[in-house]
Amino acid sequence: MLSAIWETEGLQTVGIVVLVFASIKLLHILGLISFSEDSVEDELELSAVRHRPEGLEQLEAQTRFSRKELQILYRGFKNECPSGVVNEDTFKDIYAQFFPQGDASTYAHFLFNAFDTDHNGSLSFEDFVMGLSILLRGTVQEKLIWAFNLYDINKDGYITKEEMLDIMKAIYDMMGKCTYPVLKEETPRQHVEVFFQKMDKNKDGVVTIDEFIDCCQNDENIMRSMHLFENVL
Amino acid sequence: MAAGVAAWMPFARAAAIGWMPVASAPMPVPPKEKRRGRDGLIVLNVSGTRFQTWRDTLERYPDTLLGSTERDFFFHEESNEYFFDRDPDIFRHVLNFYRTGKLHYPRQECISAYEEELAFFGIIPEIIGDCCYEEYKDRRRENQERIQDDEENDQSNDLVSPDASFRETMWRAFENPHTSTMALVFYYVTGFFIAVSVMANVVETVPCGAAPNRIKVMSCGERYALAFFCLDTACVMIFTVEYLLRLLAAPSRYRFVKSVMSIIDVVAIMPYYIGLVMTDNEDVSGAFVTLRVFRVFRIFKFSRHSAGLRILGYTLKSCASELGFLLFSLTMAIIIFATVMFYAEKGSGSKFTSIPAAFWYTIVTMTTLGYGDMVPKTIMGKIFGSICSLSGVLVIALPVPVIVSNFSRIYHQSQRAEKRRAQKKSRLARIHAVKSAGARAYMQHKGSQQLIGPDQQASKEAGQALVCKINPTFDLQHHHLLNCLEKTTNHEFVDEKPPESSCRELSPVKQLSRSSSISSSSSSNGVSCCGRRRRKTFTVPNSMSVGLQGSIQELCTIQIRERPITNSRSSLNAKFQETLPLNCEQPYLSPAVISLPTPGTTPEGDRSADYSQANIVRVSAL
Repeated sequence: MLSAIWETEGLQTVGIVVLVFASIKLLHILGLISFSEDSVEDELELSAVRHRPEGLEQLEAQTRFSRKELQILYRGFKNECPSGVVNEDTFKDIYAQFFPQGDASTYAHFLFNAFDTDHNGSLSFEDFVMGLSILLRGTVQEKLIWAFNLYDINKDGYITKEEMLDIMKAIYDMMGKCTYPVLKEETPRQHVEVFFQKMDKNKDGVVTIDEFIDCCQNDENIMRSMHLFENVL
Repeated sequence: MAAGVAAWMPFARAAAIGWMPVASAPMPVPPKEKRRGRDGLIVLNVSGTRFQTWRDTLERYPDTLLGSTERDFFFHEESNEYFFDRDPDIFRHVLNFYRTGKLHYPRQECISAYEEELAFFGIIPEIIGDCCYEEYKDRRRENQERIQDDEENDQSNDLVSPDASFRETMWRAFENPHTSTMALVFYYVTGFFIAVSVMANVVETVPCGAAPNRIKVMSCGERYALAFFCLDTACVMIFTVEYLLRLLAAPSRYRFVKSVMSIIDVVAIMPYYIGLVMTDNEDVSGAFVTLRVFRVFRIFKFSRHSAGLRILGYTLKSCASELGFLLFSLTMAIIIFATVMFYAEKGSGSKFTSIPAAFWYTIVTMTTLGYGDMVPKTIMGKIFGSICSLSGVLVIALPVPVIVSNFSRIYHQSQRAEKRRAQKKSRLARIHAVKSAGARAYMQHKGSQQLIGPDQQASKEAGQALVCKINPTFDLQHHHLLNCLEKTTNHEFVDEKPPESSCRELSPVKQLSRSSSISSSSSSNGVSCCGRRRRKTFTVPNSMSVGLQGSIQELCTIQIRERPITNSRSSLNAKFQETLPLNCEQPYLSPAVISLPTPGTTPEGDRSADYSQANIVRVSAL
C-alpha cells in the first residue's frame, strides 16, 4: 500500500523534475538566461591599432601637395579617425553621409579597394593622400589609370561587363529610390551597354586599359570633366 | 551631416572622378572657391580666458553666432580678437561643440545659466549628445516644476482686485481657505462633518446589545435607526450644499464636474438620495446594501484637507507603470506556481483541488502571509512551496523601490514648495526695501538738482560734506531719464503711499513740532533719509531752513504757496541736510500760507494749471 503511494508520488516527482529542467534548458537555448559570466560576448573592438604617418617632408616629396595642404588634410583625417587608420566600415559611414538618399556602401567598397593600394584592409593616411594626389593634382593620364583601376574590380587588367555592371549598379544605388525619372531595373544594364559600345573597340567583350585611355582621350566631355575638381583643395 | 565629415568633402569630390568616364552627360560647373584666408587661427577672448581655434572649425555651423558674420559684432580692434563678456567655463563646452560636433552638458552647471549661454551663442539645446541628454532633460524638468510652483503661488497670492465678482471670491475661498475667516470656518466645518459622517458609518455596525423588547443582539445602527438617520441627513445636507456652492462658484463648471474631487463628492452623497427614493423592496435591498458601501468614499473628501493624501494619490498615478509591472509579474508568478503546486499535490488528497484553488495558496505564500489554511503535504509540494515563498519576496521587492523613490521625490518637492513659500515673504520684503531705496535715491537726487542752480555749484561743492551721496554716472543718467519722463507727462514721481489719504489728516495750520527728532540721519547718508512718511503741516517761518530743519523724520509732503518766481523752482524736495547751508540764500520764500489741496486735485497733478497762479511747492522728506 505504501509502496503504491510512493510509486505514484515518485513518478509524479520525476515527471515534474524533468519538466522543470527541460524548461530551464529551453530558456538557456533561447539565450534568455545564461549560466556563466563569460558567455556574454565581448564586442569590444581592439582599437589599439595606431598608425602614425611618415614625416611631413616625405609625404611632401611623394605627393604633389604643399605643406599647408597636407596639414589641412591630415587634420581633417585625424579628426574623423583618431586612430590614424580608416577601416572599411568607417569609410563606408563617412562616404554614406554625403549621399543620404541612397545606399553608398557598395560604391564605397569599390572606392576603398581603389584607395587601399597595398590591400591590407585599412586605409592609412599615406594611402589616402596618395590617392588624392593623383585625383587632384595628377595628369589626365594618371587620373584615367586610376579610374580604370577603380572599375577593374579584380585588378586583372580587363574590365568585363559584369564588373562594369557592378560598378554601375553601385553608382545608381547611391541615387536612391526617389529619382526623376524613376529608376528602372534595366537602366544600369543599358548604361553598361552604351559604355561598352563606346569603349570596346575590338568588341571582344572586355575593355583593356589602352582601349580605355584612347577612348577617353578622344571624348571631349570626359576630358573636360577630368579637370573639374582641380581646385578642390 | 556631422561637421567633422565636412573635412572629407575634398575627398568625396575627388572620388567623383570615378564617375566621369561613365557619365553620359557633361558635368556642371564647380562652384567658385573663396579663399578668404580660410586657414587662420581665431582668438576668442571670453572674459579674459583666451580660446583659440581654426576659423574653419567655427564655420562648420554657419547658423550659430560664432560661425556666422554675427561674430564680427564682437570684434575688438585694439587687441585683434573677438571679445565676449560671458562665462568662460560654459564657453568651453560651446567651443567643444564646434570641435567635436557633440554638445555636452556639464553636471555642475546651473541649468538656466547653461541655457542662457546656449541661447546667446545660437545653439539649440536639442543637439546635446546622448551621453548628457537625459541628465539635461531631468534637470530641466525639475527646474520647470520649480518655476511652475512659484508661479502658481504667485497667482494664488495675488491681491484680489476689489471688483472681483462674488462668484470669484467664493471660488477663491473654496480653493484657498486662508483667504478669509469665513472660508476657514467653512473649511473646518466641512472637515468636521466628514469625520462625523465616517464615524457614524463605522459605529452603526457595532453590536449594541439587545433592545429592551428583543432577544437578538442588534447593531447600533438598527437600534438607534432614527438617530443615525438624522445624523446622516444632516451630513448629506451639508455636503450637498457645499457641492452646489462649489458648482456655482466654479469658473468652468464643465471642468469642475469632470474633476476627481467632484466625482468623489457625488459618489459620497448619492447613496443617501437613492436610498430615499427606493422603497424597502426585497429585490433591490441587496443593491441598496452595496450602495451603502459607497458611503465610505466620504473619507476621500478629506483629501481636500490634507496635502499628504494628495501627494500619495499623485504618486500612485505617476507610478502607474511600475505598479502595472508589479501586478503583471506577480500574476505571471502566481500562475506558474499555482500550476506547479497543483500538479505536485495532485492525488494526495490535499486542498489543492484545482489550479484556481491553488491561486489562493500561491498569493498567500508569495506575499509571505501564510494563513495556513492550505498547506502542501507532499515533499515536492513542500519544495516548490518554499521556492514560491522565496521568489515572492524577490518579485515584490523589485518594483517597490521605484515607487518609493517616486514618492520621495514628489514629497520632497512639496516640502520644498512649502519652504519656499515661507521664505518668499521675507525675501520679497528685503528685495522691496532695496528697490525702494533706489527709487528714493531718485527723489533725493531730484531735490538736490533742483535746489542748486548752475551758479550755485560752488556752494554745492562747499556743502559736499553734507550731501548724502555722490551719484555715480549710471545713477545720474538714470535720474535724468526719469526727469525727462516727468517733464513729458507733467507728472512727478512720489513715494508709494498716496498722499490723498494723508491729506485728510491735515488740520488747519499748526505749529511744527520742533522737538521732532532731528534725525541721526545726518550721519548716515543715503538710506536713512528715507524716513517714514507722515503728513503734517506747519507754518514756515522766514528762514525756511530753521523751520524745516527740525522735521526731518516727520515731515512729509507740504504744500506751500509762494509768490511766483521767475526761475521756476517748483519743488523743494528737501534733503534737509543738503539744503541746510543753502537755503539761507533763498530769500524768495516768503512766509508761506499752507494751502490744503482740495480733495479733487492730486498733489502732483494739475501742475501746469497752477503754474499760472502760484507755484505749488512740495516738500517731501524722504
